[in-house]
Amino acid sequence: MDFKGESAKNMVNKKASQRKGRGVKAWLARVFGRIPLIGWLMGSLGAVLIEYFLGDALSYYLGLPKIPVLFGSSIILKKPALIPGALAYLLLVYALPVSLIAKSMTRPANRLARLLASRPVSLATLIHLGLFYLILHLWAEISDYRLLVLKLTMIAVMLTLSINVINGYMGEFSCSHPGFMALGAYGASITTLLLCVDDKLMGPALLPAAAGPWLFPLALIVGGIVASLGALVIAIPSFRTRGDYLAIISLAFLFIVKSLIENLEFAGGPRGMSGQPDYAGLPTVFIVMVLCVWTINNFVRSTMGKALCAVRDNELAAEAMTVNTRKTKIVTFMFAAFWAGVAGGLFAHVLRYVNPGSFGVQRLAEILAMLYFGGLNSVTGSIVGAVSFNLLSEALRPLELYKWIIIPLLFILVMLYRPTGLIAFTEFKPRELMRPKE
Amino acid sequence: MKKMTTGLIIGLIGLLVFAANGWCFGRKTVIKIGINAPITGDIPKVGEGTKYAARMWLEDIEKAGGLTVGDTKYPVEVVIEDNESKAESAVKANTKMITEDEVLFIVGPQSSKQAIPAGAVANNYETPMITPWSTNPDSTKDRPFVFRGCFLDPFQGPVLANFITEEFKFTKAAVLYDVASDYPKGLAEFFKKAWENLHGPDSVVAFESFTTKDADFSSQLSKIIKSDAQVLFTPQYYNEVALIVQQANELGWKGPIVGSDSWGSAETVSLCGENCYGQFFSTHYAAAGAQGATKDFIDRYQAKHGYVPDDVAALTWDSLRLAQRAIEDTGKITGKIKKDRKAVRDAMARIKNFEGITGNMTFTEEGDPVKCAVIVRISDKGEYEFYKSVCPN
Repeated sequence: MDFKGESAKNMVNKKASQRKGRGVKAWLARVFGRIPLIGWLMGSLGAVLIEYFLGDALSYYLGLPKIPVLFGSSIILKKPALIPGALAYLLLVYALPVSLIAKSMTRPANRLARLLASRPVSLATLIHLGLFYLILHLWAEISDYRLLVLKLTMIAVMLTLSINVINGYMGEFSCSHPGFMALGAYGASITTLLLCVDDKLMGPALLPAAAGPWLFPLALIVGGIVASLGALVIAIPSFRTRGDYLAIISLAFLFIVKSLIENLEFAGGPRGMSGQPDYAGLPTVFIVMVLCVWTINNFVRSTMGKALCAVRDNELAAEAMTVNTRKTKIVTFMFAAFWAGVAGGLFAHVLRYVNPGSFGVQRLAEILAMLYFGGLNSVTGSIVGAVSFNLLSEALRPLELYKWIIIPLLFILVMLYRPTGLIAFTEFKPRELMRPKE
Repeated sequence: MKKMTTGLIIGLIGLLVFAANGWCFGRKTVIKIGINAPITGDIPKVGEGTKYAARMWLEDIEKAGGLTVGDTKYPVEVVIEDNESKAESAVKANTKMITEDEVLFIVGPQSSKQAIPAGAVANNYETPMITPWSTNPDSTKDRPFVFRGCFLDPFQGPVLANFITEEFKFTKAAVLYDVASDYPKGLAEFFKKAWENLHGPDSVVAFESFTTKDADFSSQLSKIIKSDAQVLFTPQYYNEVALIVQQANELGWKGPIVGSDSWGSAETVSLCGENCYGQFFSTHYAAAGAQGATKDFIDRYQAKHGYVPDDVAALTWDSLRLAQRAIEDTGKITGKIKKDRKAVRDAMARIKNFEGITGNMTFTEEGDPVKCAVIVRISDKGEYEFYKSVCPN
């Protein structure tokens, strides 16, 4: 029986489920358990389409000032009188359409999922991703604030995933991630400022403006490579030290990077660099994030990934079992730093401003919090951790000071009841995720 | 199953009926002012001053029954967003206020590291914004919609160099500043340049730096003392000022120590104590001996919150009053937010000789005000006494 913490509404369901002798969970599983992922995506698409076309009228009728932007969080926290309206909106626009469409599409969705399962997995993935992107795009179309939150959340996903490779899979406690991010941010910014725009730090653009957006991936790669080179500084000491000592070295690296940039006059010093071109749109960020998830997921499931886990559990034994620990460590550090650098490059181009102060200990605390909240050794965990942390911290924004009491409290609770994080030590298998449920 | 479905449907209908505040249709025109302040993070005191000043302003407006534009009174709402003293959070807050809350005008963010990226957002969405405290030229540069409430460092540096030269007739100065923080570094460089213009190259005999959150300055201070400098200039924030002045006195520094507007916080004297008495700094306004509107503001603030407002609060107050004036000057609120924002921006740029509590202001084309700086002496009672006013030529 699992009634604890369920809302009053579900208490109505209680009787029905008790008659069958099972809990709410079982009831939910019975009703919604057979819907494959593509069915849910269709449902969500329906919901965002409803919001896109009817959202304004509906919010008007419900007496809301605007379409509730982040699931009504700011309305609920700021204007209690509008809570019923906001809840009704959420029900009418999200909950009901998603569940009804998904439920009614069970059969065709399963048929489609079966069809896709018989084709190459890449085709199925592309279709799912396309649908997912469409949903995000329509959702973000409502407001630029949503768009910004979405972009920063995706960047957080990349950061959390890449630190998971080091801190989770390889089991080293590295604190240098903001440093890698800073290197990537500055690397990419300098490239685009130098090549694509006229500005006062780097002078006139070297290339015609039309080439800019096409060169942006190149700038991101430059950022990633700069970060990977920086990672060598950590990777080499990691041959000899482990645990706390490596943590100190990596923390030192973070400070070195920060003061290095503060003293680089051509990169703006402590004043930072601004005026990055506006290349990081939603599609770009989405595609880069998908590439990041894909490569990292493949990396940790490859032979190299298994070697990582061996190094984590016992380095000596791994060495004895012919794992080349040095190569493993170098590759891992550089690989993770590359993606952190790319995320940094995107970050710089989403904000269109970077300063060294953004990459301090506070950022480190944020990244680590997302990582441990979601769970170590798990791609899904990292995604869940980053998304929930970002949405939560944005949703609780109206609480100001109390936000920083509630979020840490939540972390303590998670650590008490799920010491390894929400979803730890699981593999992310897209094929499993997309399979038909009937 | 059937009962449950019925229950759900009844619940849903109930919710909808209850939700219909919608029965009183219509969305009224409300003038919304956004405040982007660092309420949590590194400098919460700055956020607090901003918030209190904004609340006082709102009180005044509410007492008057709203803001009168043309012949109509409009209700005013102040939207306060916390930027956590982070750049990305300030950008998010601005985006949210502009697209979601549909504010007409934004006051804030205070620090340059947030004002630069947030100003870009405001300018992109063509929403007028005024940053009361940011001294970095980039905040307003090439941004017609972004204004500033304070003077800039290229003005403040020479003001201090001239003041020291005239007052003490010194020729050798030392500078101690935080190399990792944008404001002290910029100001230190402007001061050095101005000083060397007056007294020739190498007249700044010691140009020493440290990094944010350092607490021991003895090695830098020993060098400065050995360098036979006559005056020490340190454009630091209140917590560092206390440490620097105390340590300098302990090491045997005898000359005056001069600071900049970052000393203006009420905390400087309470942390530094008698060591700081008799020192000078340049700032936006002097609390002790203030008169007229400035005194009214200080008294009201002190009565309500128990301490003398620092320059951030005063500048925020002036910025809000400037916003109010610009909105009133438009003469008409159409309710079409984009049009209104443009009208307010144009009215703002036209403001001439605005009488603020931190001095008279007229905006240049960049959106920076031309205004006077005040030299303040910390009296023997620890009060900030007006000493001299220096105006741009």
